[in-house]
Amino acid sequence: MATREVGSEGGDGALTEQFVAEWRNAAYNCYSSGHKFCREVCPVMQVTRDEAHTPTAFHANVVAMEQGHLSIEDVARDYVHCTQCGACELRCPNTLFTGDFYRFRTRTVDLVKAVRALAVESGVHQPGWQRWNELTDERKNEPVLNGTPVSQEHVADWADGLGLPVGGETVLFCDCEAAFYRTSLPRAVARILQAAGVEFGLMREQWCCGGPAAEMGYVDQARRFAEHNVADWRAVGAKRILVLDPHDYISFTEDYPRFFGDDYDFEIVLVVELVAELLREGKLTLSAPVDRVATYHDACRLNKRKGIYEAPREILRAIPGLTFKDVDHVTQWSYCSGAGAGLSIERPDLTAEISRRRVERAKRLEVDTLVSACVWSERPLSEQGESQDVEVVDLMELVAQAAGLEL
Amino acid sequence: MPTVTLSDALLDELVQICGEEHVFAGAAARFNRARVPSPFPVHRWDEFVPDAVVLPTSAEQISEVVKLANRERVPVVPRAGGTGLTDGAVPLRHGIMVDVKLMNRILELDLEDRTVTVQPGINMLKLSEELKPHGFIYPDNPASYPCSLVGGRIGTSGWSLIGGRYGHTRDLVISFELVLPTGEIVRVGDGGGPKVRKSSSGYQLKHLFMGHQGTLGIVTEATLELVKRPEAEFSAFYAYPSYLDAWRATGDFARSGAATLAGVVLFDEWKLAYLRRDDEAYIPQPESVKAVVALALYGNDDEVRASAKRMLRLGKASGGTYLGDEISQGDWASRHDRYATPLHGRTRDGQVVPMSWHCEDASILYSQLPAVREKWHAIAAGLRERFDMFDDWGMFAYTNGAFKPWGDYLTEIDIGIWEMQWDDESWAAWVDAKREIARVALEHGGSISACHGSCREGEVDLVPEELGGGFEVMKAVKRALDPNNVMNPGKYLLDRAYEEDAP
Ligand SMILES: Cc1cc2nc3c(=O)[nH]c(=O)nc-3n(C[C@H](O)[C@H](O)[C@H](O)COP(=O)(O)OP(=O)(O)OC[C@H]3O[C@@H](n4cnc5c(N)ncnc54)[C@H](O)[C@@H]3O)c2cc1C
Ligand code: SF4
Repeated sequence: MATREVGSEGGDGALTEQFVAEWRNAAYNCYSSGHKFCREVCPVMQVTRDEAHTPTAFHANVVAMEQGHLSIEDVARDYVHCTQCGACELRCPNTLFTGDFYRFRTRTVDLVKAVRALAVESGVHQPGWQRWNELTDERKNEPVLNGTPVSQEHVADWADGLGLPVGGETVLFCDCEAAFYRTSLPRAVARILQAAGVEFGLMREQWCCGGPAAEMGYVDQARRFAEHNVADWRAVGAKRILVLDPHDYISFTEDYPRFFGDDYDFEIVLVVELVAELLREGKLTLSAPVDRVATYHDACRLNKRKGIYEAPREILRAIPGLTFKDVDHVTQWSYCSGAGAGLSIERPDLTAEISRRRVERAKRLEVDTLVSACVWSERPLSEQGESQDVEVVDLMELVAQAAGLEL
Repeated sequence: MPTVTLSDALLDELVQICGEEHVFAGAAARFNRARVPSPFPVHRWDEFVPDAVVLPTSAEQISEVVKLANRERVPVVPRAGGTGLTDGAVPLRHGIMVDVKLMNRILELDLEDRTVTVQPGINMLKLSEELKPHGFIYPDNPASYPCSLVGGRIGTSGWSLIGGRYGHTRDLVISFELVLPTGEIVRVGDGGGPKVRKSSSGYQLKHLFMGHQGTLGIVTEATLELVKRPEAEFSAFYAYPSYLDAWRATGDFARSGAATLAGVVLFDEWKLAYLRRDDEAYIPQPESVKAVVALALYGNDDEVRASAKRMLRLGKASGGTYLGDEISQGDWASRHDRYATPLHGRTRDGQVVPMSWHCEDASILYSQLPAVREKWHAIAAGLRERFDMFDDWGMFAYTNGAFKPWGDYLTEIDIGIWEMQWDDESWAAWVDAKREIARVALEHGGSISACHGSCREGEVDLVPEELGGGFEVMKAVKRALDPNNVMNPGKYLLDRAYEEDAP
């Protein structure tokens, strides 16, 4: 946009000062390199080609803020352009080669979250995010259904007829997108776990995990939601939380421990890893052939943020009848659906284009199916899949089919 | 705070040419295009900020922008990857930055005549991903392979790590289209059709329009060489007890005559010490190892096998210790990423501080390497003694010539700089040191730069001396092609072309 602005000194100077003090060393580590090895791996940058949307700029801005050249008002909008997929951190030589030795890691994702939080605290809001978080705050779940309001009353509708109890030692946390939009996913998960004899219940009152709020900078709200969910887990006696969405998995393994410290003593289990284990142990068998030619979309938060790329492949290889054309997980560092970290709310055009390119890559492998393990990726990927004749399914939906389970 | 000097009317015109979403005048967009990875006077950042940034999508748009700049006498600065190490893409006079990153499409893949035609904003790693299924590579392979772009490669006339075998940028770019400083769109190349590799028709303009650091126009399209993906690759590392032993061995390898030889690299003692700062980055060697030589071969399987045997024989005869397969595969494979490790910065008392990377890249004759090395380290030591913010990160020498990699070497001294400490005094000392480093290169019959270009503060003062009468020709060409001095003004002392008594 050709808006004409010159750096201003607005915002809360003290907040910025505190932020800069915390981030300046990390920022200088990148600034001193400035080589941009991370640029071409970034899914957003691949589309916008705008240097202001790179980790290099995200770090340099901190230095420029320290020097008094830029303010939070100047930079806040640029930080919208990040899906927090983590690719750039992996590609950064400072992490790759010397990170272990110096116990250093380039933490671009945390930096993006911190700048977004600074923006919110300084009263610089992105209109779409502000509205999204207000609605989430009101309804306790994300407004994933556009016009149709979501509410606590309907948060467990997806489980109708499955006979799931409330509470117990093991609780399944169902992501908002899964609970209200792609209900085939939680149903598949529930059926699979039941078939394998895993006992689990639901929460009494499941609020959004708070992760999206944290990702968009609404940290207080994120914490309030986390407090509610943890209280609910404790109230029903839960010790082990099953998680079916990678975004929630990040919240529960990164945000929550940060909020609650040592008091946070829950075992967080990713359903994909659990299912791989159940298959290995023979507690689940897949015998119904699935006649598809498929490739796997590495969910960014699993592959790039958590290093989880084996389990989904192990499961896919166990599905009878399936022709699996794999693309290795390192090549997929530069792949993304574009759905993460609120990009789809503020820049749906970019999400759509990132998804289009992802589906196009799948299409070139001559597959009919793109399998994902991230429910948030599945909506934009499906939209693009329709026009390119590639069906997008969740890994657990395939497993349920191969296990002969009715959804 | 630098104020935007472009008028609203001019910005409106830019918007009309490039589209609203491709014109940026916000502070963050401008500040983030002020610098490149080479040492930068952080304390004077605002002196180098463009007034506006455009991301054009076609040659026609760039042509219109350049015409507008001529009409209004506003500087235009081309920028591709922004990884150049001689400040080429740093706007010295503000103005309009033409960032070509959005022009990153592959326009034609010709498997028959073996060319690929691309836009200037494409990155080589990304290009190679597309070529892979067809069994080809585009072998312009700088250490900045994952981040520099074709337009910048042409703007700098870059050097490739495997150039001994496949050639450097100038050998691999067959022809290109560019917008001249007055806005006309022309195509230059090796001759005739855009895919012809050798011609004697007329002036050989391709070289003139490469390596000019954006002072003679903006490349908008390039036709590149396609090379068959090599069947085999061989690399080997040898350790030596002294620099001179390693230097002799380097000469032996480079003069072996093997056509598969892609490059030989000589690491000196200081470089090993630098790499040893982190035992993960370099497979540890005993203290007795004072220098290392690495070499790489590429080609058809049968050729590589035969020449590998020859190299192993030479290595043995040179008294080198073969360092094993692990380092060959590991270190050589990750060679792109080992350059600037800010965490390896050390103050005099050993404190770890984040340092930026200065990389010298002179061309030095083989015979002169030992002497130049001593002088350069002495200059670095002098800096470190005065300011506890400079650190000597050691030297590499790489075979330089394409297809004849024996005469001169791209010679690199890497200097770490703790940029948080800059002030006017240390900056001035740094500029002096750079000039001294360049002077040593010239005194020994070399060139200030093998690939980055030589237009940074300090070294640039010696360019007229290096080029002699050639610099007068450069000025005449510049004034003829860019009568209003709008294309990347301030670079290469070319303002002198516009002084009263200029040619
Ligand atoms: C870690 C690292 C390693 C490096 N290793 C090497 C190496 O091995 N070999 C090597 O040669 N270099 C190396 N470099 C330097 C740098 O990558 C090269 O100079 C590269 O060619 C610059 O390309 P760029 O796309 O980043 O260009 P930029 O930095 O954006 O621009 C370089 C110059 O070209 C001009 N320019 C940009 N686009 C155009 C265009 N479309 N038309 C005309 N002029 C244009 C600019 O004005 C500028 O003067 C390295 C840099 C880094 C950071
Ligand atoms: S994030 Fe890492 S790879 Fe990217 S510019 Fe900074 S240091 Fe380089």
